[in-house]
Parts: sequence; C-alpha cells; structure tokens
Amino acid sequence: MTTYALALDALGDGTRRDILERLRRGPRAVGELAAELPVSRPAVSQHLRVLKEAGLVTERRNGTRRLYRVDTDGLAEVRDYLESFWTDVLAAFEAAATAEAEQEDE
Amino acid sequence: MTMQATEIEAIRKSVTVPLPVEKAFRLFTDGVNSWWPVATHSIGHEDVEDVTFDPDGKRVYERLADGTEHEWADISAWEPPNRFLLTWRVNPEKIGTEVEVRFSADGEETRVDLEHRGWDKRGASDRADYDGGWDFVLGKFVGAA
Repeated sequence: MTTYALALDALGDGTRRDILERLRRGPRAVGELAAELPVSRPAVSQHLRVLKEAGLVTERRNGTRRLYRVDTDGLAEVRDYLESFWTDVLAAFEAAATAEAEQEDE
Repeated sequence: MTMQATEIEAIRKSVTVPLPVEKAFRLFTDGVNSWWPVATHSIGHEDVEDVTFDPDGKRVYERLADGTEHEWADISAWEPPNRFLLTWRVNPEKIGTEVEVRFSADGEETRVDLEHRGWDKRGASDRADYDGGWDFVLGKFVGAA
C-alpha cells in the first residue's frame, strides 16, 4: 500500500486518532501516552508502530527516552490524495454539465 | 498550500458549470450515474451498476451488479437546488466526515462549492453525531487510485 492508504487505514482507529491528537500538543514517550489513555503500554506501542509505518509519527531518541512526535509528511499525503480525489470528481461533473448545456443549444 | 503542520485542513473545491442551478443540482444528484467516475472513485469499481442519491431514505449508496449495496453516506441536509450535506458512513465505529456541496447562481451559470471537512475531530469515536466512516472515501477508494 502507498503511504496515504496506510495513513487512512491507520486513522480509522479511534485510539490511534487519540494518540495522534495528543502528540499534536507535543512529543511524548510511550509511557506518558499509556498513562493518559485507557489502554496498556504494549497496546500503545503497537498503535505507535502502525502510525509510524503510515508516516504519521516519527520517533527520536532523547537520552534514554524515545519520544514520538507527529510526522507531517503522512498527513500531507492524505490531504494530497483528497485534493486529487475531489478534483477528479468535479472535473467529471464539469464535463458532463458542459455536454448537457451544449446538447440543449443544438 | 497553507496546511497546518499537524492536521488535515478541510478540502475546498469549486467549479462553475454552464447550467442553471436547478439543472446543475439535478445532474449532480439524480444524474450522478451519467458522470461519476465509478471505475476509479467507488468501492466496487467496475462492478458498480449504479449510484443513488436517495433523499427520502436519507442516504447515498452504490449498487453492484449482484445486488450488493455499499453505503456512501447519510444525507444530513437536503435543500434542492442549493445545497446538500453528507456524512460519510460505512463503519459506525469510525470517524465521520462531512461533505457539503453548495450550488449558487452565477449569472446563467452555476458555481458549485464542495467542502470535505471534519476528519480530525478529536474524540469523535465516542460521539454519536460523528458515526460515519471517513476511511470510506478516504480509504477504500484508495485501491484504484
């Protein structure tokens, strides 16, 4: 799958959206996230792995701690995908509307 | 592009078409099968028989040749010929996003404004009013793109 497809899949889960939302406020460690959420630490780690593979978070070592933060590349891909999706749809609509108008002129 | 660093902004698209508002609205909705690119922009792709905007049933769905139906959206507002508002819904546990389409007269033509918004609603998973499935159009359409 492409990155945006992975990102869209990843965002389909409420806990992962919750994690991402928390990371938007600043980098956090797994333990900090686990303390804030009603899920276990291993579960948080698993969600972070999915988010990372989807290009939505990155991790960085800070001394002995591993901090996660939002990766904007994944979100940009999702948005680009949406942009092109609706551009295609409206272009198809415009073509059909133009054809209908021309037909009426004849 | 003015995208915020950490969120997906609403997508806004506009197009002006050479039809009066009533006809533009009708073509977009009743006439959807004559133009929507289902081969690439649907769930069933080439198996899609037709797409239906059903304001009475308050839903938009595609139907496959074998009769299977896939929900595209709930119709949250239906104000022909000026506006409709959809909530994408496939998996009730997932976040819903809104698609609003407005039709306004621009001389003898019609300006169509489309806005797709709301996929970053926080805590939406436990809110009844956002029970749609935004990965529907955003995820399942991805396959053929």
